[in-house]
Amino acid sequence: MASEITRVESADWRTTRRFYLKFLEGLADTQIGPLYIGVWGILALVFFAVTVFVILFGYLEQVGFNPILFVREFPVLSVEPPPPSYGLKLAPLAEGGYWQIATFFLTLSIVFWLIRIWSRAIANRIRPNVAIVFTSAIFLYAAIYIIHPISMGAWNEAPGHGLRAQLVWANAFSIKYGNFYYNPFHMVSIFGLLGSCLLLAMHGATILAVVRLNAHREIDEAESSTEGTHRAQLLWRWVMGFNATATSIHTWAIAIAVVSMVAGALGVIFSGTLEPDWFQWACRAGIVPGVIQPGTTSVAACLR
Amino acid sequence: MLSFEAKYRREAMEVPSVPLLGLGLLKFWVGRFYVGFWGLVALLFGLIGAGIWFWRVVLLDATRTGNPLINFVRGQIEVPSPDVGLSLTTDPSKGLWWLVVMFCATVTFIAWMMRQVDISRMLKMGYQVPIAFGVAVSAWVTIQIVRPILLGHWSEGFPLGVMAHLDWLSVFGYRFFNFYYNPFHALGIALLFGSGLVLSLHGATILSAAGKKKEGVTEHNINVFYWDFLGYSIGEIGIHRLAFWTALMCVLLSNLCLVLSGTLVQDWSAFWNFWNKLPFWSGF
Repeated sequence: MASEITRVESADWRTTRRFYLKFLEGLADTQIGPLYIGVWGILALVFFAVTVFVILFGYLEQVGFNPILFVREFPVLSVEPPPPSYGLKLAPLAEGGYWQIATFFLTLSIVFWLIRIWSRAIANRIRPNVAIVFTSAIFLYAAIYIIHPISMGAWNEAPGHGLRAQLVWANAFSIKYGNFYYNPFHMVSIFGLLGSCLLLAMHGATILAVVRLNAHREIDEAESSTEGTHRAQLLWRWVMGFNATATSIHTWAIAIAVVSMVAGALGVIFSGTLEPDWFQWACRAGIVPGVIQPGTTSVAACLR
Repeated sequence: MLSFEAKYRREAMEVPSVPLLGLGLLKFWVGRFYVGFWGLVALLFGLIGAGIWFWRVVLLDATRTGNPLINFVRGQIEVPSPDVGLSLTTDPSKGLWWLVVMFCATVTFIAWMMRQVDISRMLKMGYQVPIAFGVAVSAWVTIQIVRPILLGHWSEGFPLGVMAHLDWLSVFGYRFFNFYYNPFHALGIALLFGSGLVLSLHGATILSAAGKKKEGVTEHNINVFYWDFLGYSIGEIGIHRLAFWTALMCVLLSNLCLVLSGTLVQDWSAFWNFWNKLPFWSGF
């Protein structure tokens, strides 16, 4: 394994002072290096620590500060948003105040994390593409935790902070707005998500198949492609009549991942505001499968 | 043809064939496409299967919508009725067409995988692409063939239609109480979201440094960026290994979560009953 690995030789102090583990050679040519903290890193980490502390304190209060119950109930413990009666107002701690504090600090820490990624890219003289793509993930987070609750007028619309709470929210949210399988934005989002998995498998497999020709050195290949990339391109051209290049495959990659997140966010934002019931939308669009009622053109399941 | 393609086509002609596996037989190209024995098999069964599907779902207009586009979205070929069991029915009203299309699709998928083996071999590449595609085929085989056989009914498969398979998925989630409580489903979804994360990180990372060689930017800048950002840089081979295994494990765990439902586990909520009975916290 180690023979096919190309280490970047450099006089940079990080390269020589890094923490080097022999057994990781097979997985990585670069190793654990010093983490950059900086002012944005401190802000992000401190606010994230506050979020975790508030959530865990909320859990502990619910189990009466009993450590054994805390572990036993951990998967189902949740810091829930305030009940609908509080609307968008501040709630007492035990009735959703913990959730409001935790979400506030979580949002801040995510924004500082974004700034941190951006500023580190600039400092290393590369473009801030990672930060730009990260904003689409933040858009999905904001749609779920901030935009949708505000547009519906209640923090209660957002998920609780807990392992099971997120699953319960996803389940209930889908049913509340008439089954998300009929939400066209959700369809596009799932298309993007499954497509991400497909493209990831295709790209990973293609590059691993020509590692002996150094096709994994993609920065060089993007500059001027060599034999490994040529063989990889011909594989897909001969299989399906189309091939990307060493640069364009990565554009396809971020495109499909961003489509998945942006469509998902729009699906959440439009639920309850533009469309209260996606099943009824599908009925109006005429796409619900089923048996046609005699004398009408609508499906039996759609008749009210 | 790409500028460098002729050389590789000549090289491909010299790779010996393996007639027993159909590799390297009928070695010719039509335009950009390589044909080969498996290409013809895939084309033949693909056309039969897709043709039957379009005829039954779009053209026949069984629900009299008069609109082919609506038929495409909401039409379906229904699964065989439960009383058919695992027999190969010839009754069109009891699922003959589902069996025919399902058979054609399975042959097409496997032929497509063999086609990738053929092409990988001619290009002197590893077999990672057909292996990854084979894992995707395994999901189809698990849902449409293995699980129905384990449960004794073809009706356990999913209907062949755009909206119909969403309905099937929605109902399937609640048939075993609730799929959100299925731990293998949870792992599969985590890896599916993980696929989106790894894909967008990798794509953005390469694009952030591509074409900046004149400015002295190399992969070393990316390594330093990741040491700064996460304290760890996985490296150029490593990211592709991570990509390969994230995507493949996502599908393999999904296979497991489906094949366990209805066979060994009937209720994924009750599955967790062992948790509170663990000896560590008896008495609490």
